[in-house]
Amino acid sequence: MTTPAAILASLRGDHALPLRPANQVMDLERLGSLHQSRLSFMRTLVRRIMKERWQIAPSLLQLDDQGYGTVVYQVRAPHGVFSFVLFSNYLSPEERNDRVIATQWDLTMALVEGTVDDVYLEKLRQNVPRQEAGRVDARVFVLSRANRSARNFDYVVDQLARGEQPDVDRIASVGYLYRTTAVYGSGKLGMADWEKVRTRHKDFARPFAGEMFVCLMLRNFSLMQAEHIARHKSPTRFTPLNPEIKRYFGIGNSTGLGMAPYLVNHPLLINQWIEMRELALARVRTLGHVDDSIKQQLNRLIDRCGTHMAETETEDDWQTDNNSAVRQDLLALKQYVDEDFEGWDALLTWSETHCSLQGQEMLVSIMLELYPELVDELEEFHSAEEMLDLDPLMPLHELKRIIETRYDWALAIDFEVEGARETCWYRSEEKMEPRLGSIADLEAKDKQMALGVGYAVHKCYSQLCEYMDKHANHTTARFMVARPKMRGIVRRIQSMNRCTYGDIQANLLDQNVLPMHLLRCKLAFFGVSKFDPRSRLWVRNTMFQGAPLLEDIGKPFSDDWFMPLAPQQSGEK
Amino acid sequence: MHISMNELSAALRRCFEATGYFVGNYEDAASMIFWLEKHGLQGLEELARALPYIDQDRQKPLSSMVYEDSTSAIIDSHGRSALNCIAAAVDLAHAKALDNGIATVKVHNCHNRKFILKALTDCGRRGISVAAYWQNGSEVITEHTAAIKAGDRYPSYSEATTNLKSDGVETQGLTIICSSRVDLTSSLQESKGNTEALSLDSGQVAFNKERTVESGININDSLWAEINRLGAGVLVSSSEQSRQGAGGR
Repeated sequence: MTTPAAILASLRGDHALPLRPANQVMDLERLGSLHQSRLSFMRTLVRRIMKERWQIAPSLLQLDDQGYGTVVYQVRAPHGVFSFVLFSNYLSPEERNDRVIATQWDLTMALVEGTVDDVYLEKLRQNVPRQEAGRVDARVFVLSRANRSARNFDYVVDQLARGEQPDVDRIASVGYLYRTTAVYGSGKLGMADWEKVRTRHKDFARPFAGEMFVCLMLRNFSLMQAEHIARHKSPTRFTPLNPEIKRYFGIGNSTGLGMAPYLVNHPLLINQWIEMRELALARVRTLGHVDDSIKQQLNRLIDRCGTHMAETETEDDWQTDNNSAVRQDLLALKQYVDEDFEGWDALLTWSETHCSLQGQEMLVSIMLELYPELVDELEEFHSAEEMLDLDPLMPLHELKRIIETRYDWALAIDFEVEGARETCWYRSEEKMEPRLGSIADLEAKDKQMALGVGYAVHKCYSQLCEYMDKHANHTTARFMVARPKMRGIVRRIQSMNRCTYGDIQANLLDQNVLPMHLLRCKLAFFGVSKFDPRSRLWVRNTMFQGAPLLEDIGKPFSDDWFMPLAPQQSGEK
Repeated sequence: MHISMNELSAALRRCFEATGYFVGNYEDAASMIFWLEKHGLQGLEELARALPYIDQDRQKPLSSMVYEDSTSAIIDSHGRSALNCIAAAVDLAHAKALDNGIATVKVHNCHNRKFILKALTDCGRRGISVAAYWQNGSEVITEHTAAIKAGDRYPSYSEATTNLKSDGVETQGLTIICSSRVDLTSSLQESKGNTEALSLDSGQVAFNKERTVESGININDSLWAEINRLGAGVLVSSSEQSRQGAGGR
């Protein structure tokens, strides 16, 4: 197992590995081209559950024939016992709405510390189905809700009740029975704070581990519920899902703008995730041994990724073009590997001139997939102390130098050009939903969130230069007394300078900004697949497709569900 | 009302942002209050006293330097709340102490000075020792001191009611002593006629924090409502057009 000191030595200094530079990695379009990898949080969670053989079984199963009722799963993990509590209620099709402003859902659920007795279950029943309108306490780690896929749920139930399996092509098109529309943690609505979960509950002490676990449990419940309803509908003809087809069902996810401010407001955490991904890549690039076995695996993964992309359906033209480009890239990659493959460094360099950004990042994910021994231990290092500290002693000439080198991308933007400050990000009075608007809307302009890091740096730099004309030898502390409005951005600049990658390099105020890149970046770290943008502001995707089922825990596990493929239907070749 | 630390922190940030605090300052203000409450030092009581006045600070001049040399400085905060000016004063003391071993910064005309404890803690974490002393009150004078050693995570804090006369006492002043070479500690002297003394060592502060992390924070309903009422000032009214800006599906 590696150590923080070894990681630091690999990231910085004379003995550092050849990391890709910040101006390449932190480019917004590249961040929006990332794919899932074996360091994605769904993968690391499933690896942990399977390795540690968590015991997960229903302790209460009260469902009527239609699948409505209450279910409690008891979760026995190495460091504690937890409960996954789920309420299933009837929801009419007219009331089904994926927006954050909805007030009713098909399923609502909570991940709770310890076991739940009748009194506590009743308390949860009074609050969990109400979501934002309810309150819970610090025993609850995660709260979530989900809606049925109108397209799939009834179809799958009918097929099973008829004694038939669902058509795999149809599942390839929409690979889930439910779509989760919000997953809340970190102290929202009275829940346990992340500090509590991180310091006292080791089983969920990695970023978003609790949230990912709830989605995994939702996926398992959805499959159990569909079988339950089908069995009651036709006890004699019912057939359970074929395990391979069952594993091919994931859970749907609908993600909107809420994730975008998160990336900007947690720069140290995002930097940490990116550092680990880039460190993994640098390790493979430098230490990854190549032999025939690796070449065979590489070819298999290239083929698999190509098929996965071919099975990815979206109505969005932009994403369709991207997927098509990635498939072309994979074909070219395969040809290059067959003819000229000399090592990872050369292959990466070749990809940077011959592949699309999404194709290049697909290659990165494939490379990580091939070397679990170089990559997996980094999953323990995805947390960060999120304190942006001011360095009051820093001389102003040093602060100026940092801006000129680390934020040259921000200084290069002309913010006076029309449209450069056209976009504003604000919170709506409707559930504080983050929204995007134009500065032509004066209220939105006046109340916009401070997400324009590039512009703030630009302003800070001009004030700093002006101040230094008179006080060139002053420290940052003295500048802060004179220019208190600069405190937030100076603290950020100094703190991000201590990181390898630093801030996302983009003008988020530009009229042409694509929030989709931000959403996709975070979702790739989560580990989703099948990106299906519904506009430039929200995206549907699939979680846990191909992951092991609850009944697979304790059985041999290959950890090989990267870019899952549709299973062959019985009778197919 | 029972809330999480994250809820309090986020609501306070909105509250101060809506009140006109700058980026950087509204996070500082929120974390100063939150830090006191999290560590059992009545941050919400202090806030309740400050809240009726916080929107007045935007009409006041920014802090100004009255005097400065290599080891000391005097800052006039012009009646502002410590919530939006004390962190810069502590940072200045920090910078001077690193240059000269020890430094003193005196702040005049500053309200709500108990909120300095968060800034002191940041110094301790960064390897600097700090002590602060201030008096408060118009008829009954109380005195307060807090200190943290270099590298420590939690400060000590003492307060007491004095028998001082209000005449001649500068009740809105604060003295900060900061050292990169000496570990400073502070406690109020018992022999000076002080009563109702309260003293918390760093161990008790740490214990209070553990309790809050486990179970969250209790807050008076009306104070919670007021924080959220003020914080609603950052929210934009909803319209069909604005719904389009959320995806518009």
